[in-house]
Amino acid sequence: MIWAVLIATGTVVATGIYLALSRDLFRCLIGLALLGNGINLVLFSSGRLNTQVPPIIKQAETTLHNAANALPQALVLTAIVISFALLCFSLVLAVRIIQLSGNDDILAIRQAEPPATDSIKPALEEEP
Amino acid sequence: MGRLSNNCKEARAPLANVFISCVPSLLFLGLILSLYHVPLPWTFVLPWVPSLNVDLDVYIDGLSAQFLLLITGIGSLVFFYARGYLAGHPKAKRLFILLVLFLFAMIGAVVSDNLLVLFVFWELTSVLSFLLVGFNHEDVGSRKSAQQAILVTGVGGLFLLAGFILLGEIAGTYSIQAFLHSPSVLINDSRLGVVLVLIFVGAFTKSAQFPFHFWLPNAMAAPTPVSAYLHSATMVKLGIYLLARLDTAFSDIIFWEYALVGTGTLTAVFAAVQTVYERDLKRILAWSTIATLGTLVMLVGLPGHGAALATVALFFAHALYKAPLFFVAGNLDHGAGTREIDKLTGMRHYMPWTATAALVAALSMAGLPLTFGFVAKDAISFAKAQAEVLHLVSYATVFVNVVSVAVAAIAAIHIFWGHDTIPRKSHPHEAPASMIIPPLMLVLCGIVFGLAPTLIDPLLGAAAKAMSPEFDATTVNMAYDLAPVIEVTLGTIALGLLVYLRWDWLHERLSRITFLEKVGPEGWYLAIMDTLPVIAARLTRIVQHGILPRYLMTMLVTVAVLLLVLLTAADPPWLWPPSTNLGVPVASASLLIIVGGLAACFVRDHLVLLLVGGLVGFGSAVLFMFTGAPDLALTQFFVETVFVVVVATVLVKLRRLKIRDRQVPLEPLIRPLDLFVAMAFSLIVVVLTLLVSALPFDAQLTDFYATRSLAEAHGRNVVNLILVDFRALDTLGEISVLFFSLIAVLPLLKRIGDKRP
Repeated sequence: MIWAVLIATGTVVATGIYLALSRDLFRCLIGLALLGNGINLVLFSSGRLNTQVPPIIKQAETTLHNAANALPQALVLTAIVISFALLCFSLVLAVRIIQLSGNDDILAIRQAEPPATDSIKPALEEEP
Repeated sequence: MGRLSNNCKEARAPLANVFISCVPSLLFLGLILSLYHVPLPWTFVLPWVPSLNVDLDVYIDGLSAQFLLLITGIGSLVFFYARGYLAGHPKAKRLFILLVLFLFAMIGAVVSDNLLVLFVFWELTSVLSFLLVGFNHEDVGSRKSAQQAILVTGVGGLFLLAGFILLGEIAGTYSIQAFLHSPSVLINDSRLGVVLVLIFVGAFTKSAQFPFHFWLPNAMAAPTPVSAYLHSATMVKLGIYLLARLDTAFSDIIFWEYALVGTGTLTAVFAAVQTVYERDLKRILAWSTIATLGTLVMLVGLPGHGAALATVALFFAHALYKAPLFFVAGNLDHGAGTREIDKLTGMRHYMPWTATAALVAALSMAGLPLTFGFVAKDAISFAKAQAEVLHLVSYATVFVNVVSVAVAAIAAIHIFWGHDTIPRKSHPHEAPASMIIPPLMLVLCGIVFGLAPTLIDPLLGAAAKAMSPEFDATTVNMAYDLAPVIEVTLGTIALGLLVYLRWDWLHERLSRITFLEKVGPEGWYLAIMDTLPVIAARLTRIVQHGILPRYLMTMLVTVAVLLLVLLTAADPPWLWPPSTNLGVPVASASLLIIVGGLAACFVRDHLVLLLVGGLVGFGSAVLFMFTGAPDLALTQFFVETVFVVVVATVLVKLRRLKIRDRQVPLEPLIRPLDLFVAMAFSLIVVVLTLLVSALPFDAQLTDFYATRSLAEAHGRNVVNLILVDFRALDTLGEISVLFFSLIAVLPLLKRIGDKRP
């Protein structure tokens, strides 16, 4: 079944990158979210998927036996929360910029890198 | 009260200057005393960077001692002179501090036995030269000259470093003495030529040899004490010092001899011609300094111990007559307000002491008998006779000597004698004592050593011995014993006076030939300086194009290529992962993810896109649930739900604002290039995951948490314990990130729907 997980991972990573390369700011953001999801899957499956038993020590025992790998789970848990914070922030930023410039075309948003005004530097490429 | 403290401050500043200006004098006296009592060479080691085998190995032989004497001796007078020259100048203290730093950098450079340490001090002198040339930094000319000086010598320094490293690696040692004692490893190495060329570039840029000479006349933008000290007496001779230091190892190599004699002679002749172009006394002196530097390089290249003696003698003589002439130029600037030779005649009436100094210095420069200049010329003739140089080189030396006689005449006769017929606003006046004593003392030394060369013989002999081990005292006597030299000298002086009389005519003739300025090395330098910013700007535009998807593409391709390279280099075992039986739930969760992912690519509507994107998140949550990670599943469900709900709200709000109404789609649904990059990248990621899963599992960390959780953290949920106990600090950081992003989001969120900027 590792195959199914791997194909799913590949699809999500590819979709994430494809959307992130888009000119549409919103699609770009969703792309980032999916890319994060895909990488979480990579991390998770690198810890080996062998069992359905959660890593919880049973009442009668003192050590963990025959349970899922706890370490990647902890890492992925952190990653999920952090990427949530990142996405919320970039989403608000994006919405605000869309609202201010009245446009969600990435190529049209040029506030950070305006065309050059001096003679030495050639102007930025024109919008296609 | 305020005025009082101000006065105190003003009174204190010169006191500090007095204190600083005593530094070189004290060093000089200490050095003289030590030289009398302790025989050369002196060696000692100060550990510096033991791990790199770089120590401050100090080795002082005759050559170093001669440089040390000049650095501290001329330094004492320069510091003394600068006190008068910059009296009341607001930045005088700055100059003194820079000069003291320079003094120590120079001392470090000439006493160091380690090539890398020598290089560090070498570069320090370049940096201090930059700061001193740019001393009047309000003036754009000063800044340009300072930039030119540091670029030329700095780039040369890089070549030198490369040469030193190559030399050190081939020879197996960075100690100069160790290398000089057994140079055969390098001499027989095929890379010898490269080493020599690299060292030549370094030494020639520092010592202003053709074609790197042009920075030196421009460096005359510095205050006069600086020009006299750095750009005539000491720093520019550092290149000569290095060549002289390495001379014993390489003197048998034909390339060494030809390169040095050729470059030196060319530089000397070129500079002698350039002298005639100038009307500013300081620039005239600068060009004549370059001519002398060329002669010195030529002498280092000549074989035989006569040449060694001539090098050190000329080096000494030049310091004794050129520094006073620079002082004279400074006095003229100070007293008459100009250095243009057209505006200066009959100055002896106003500045008798300066005139005396100029006259005696000029006698030495012209090489008249009874001066030390004559001794040096004598030694040069002997060296040339002994080395059997080409006639061409001989003629070139004579030509350079003729011009230097003419320059001496300009400085002594043209400026100070004759009638003062030029109308002026104010009368020129003599400089203060602090600016007269230094040049007079130096020219006095020139006369004393000229009358009794035996006084200085031990030092010159020791210095020459460092360049030529077979050197002995008899050579000194032989060199002084050449009667025919008198005739040559007189002939040179006669020719020189002729050039002096026709100086203005020559200047006018030569000034019509301007092509040298345009196509010369300085022209190339200027062209490079003009083109560099343009190339930089173009490059910036190519790299910083301002198109977000293209930046992203660059990053992805770079990471992909790096991963591929690493993968190829690591060459892991290409195995299939062991099969596991996780059953239908995992398969269906994967299917959910795949469907969500594929759909997201081909959906245009943003709301729908958000929902199919959410499908991927929920699919992952289901996957986590059936692979033993209920905590993850819970978190993922929660986060995904919140995200979708929040984004949907925002989207709806934006729709209401009519911002998202777009009739024509931004881009085609299928973008082949992007699709290709995305698929290639994900393929690499999948292959990597596959290879990792196929490797045997390293259970060390997993076992650590499995066995320690209950015993040390007193809990049963291992994932939880890792987060809140074992890695609690990480989790604290994570919470902080979450919190900070919330702080950043809140004000922006308030403004959404608000039309104001």
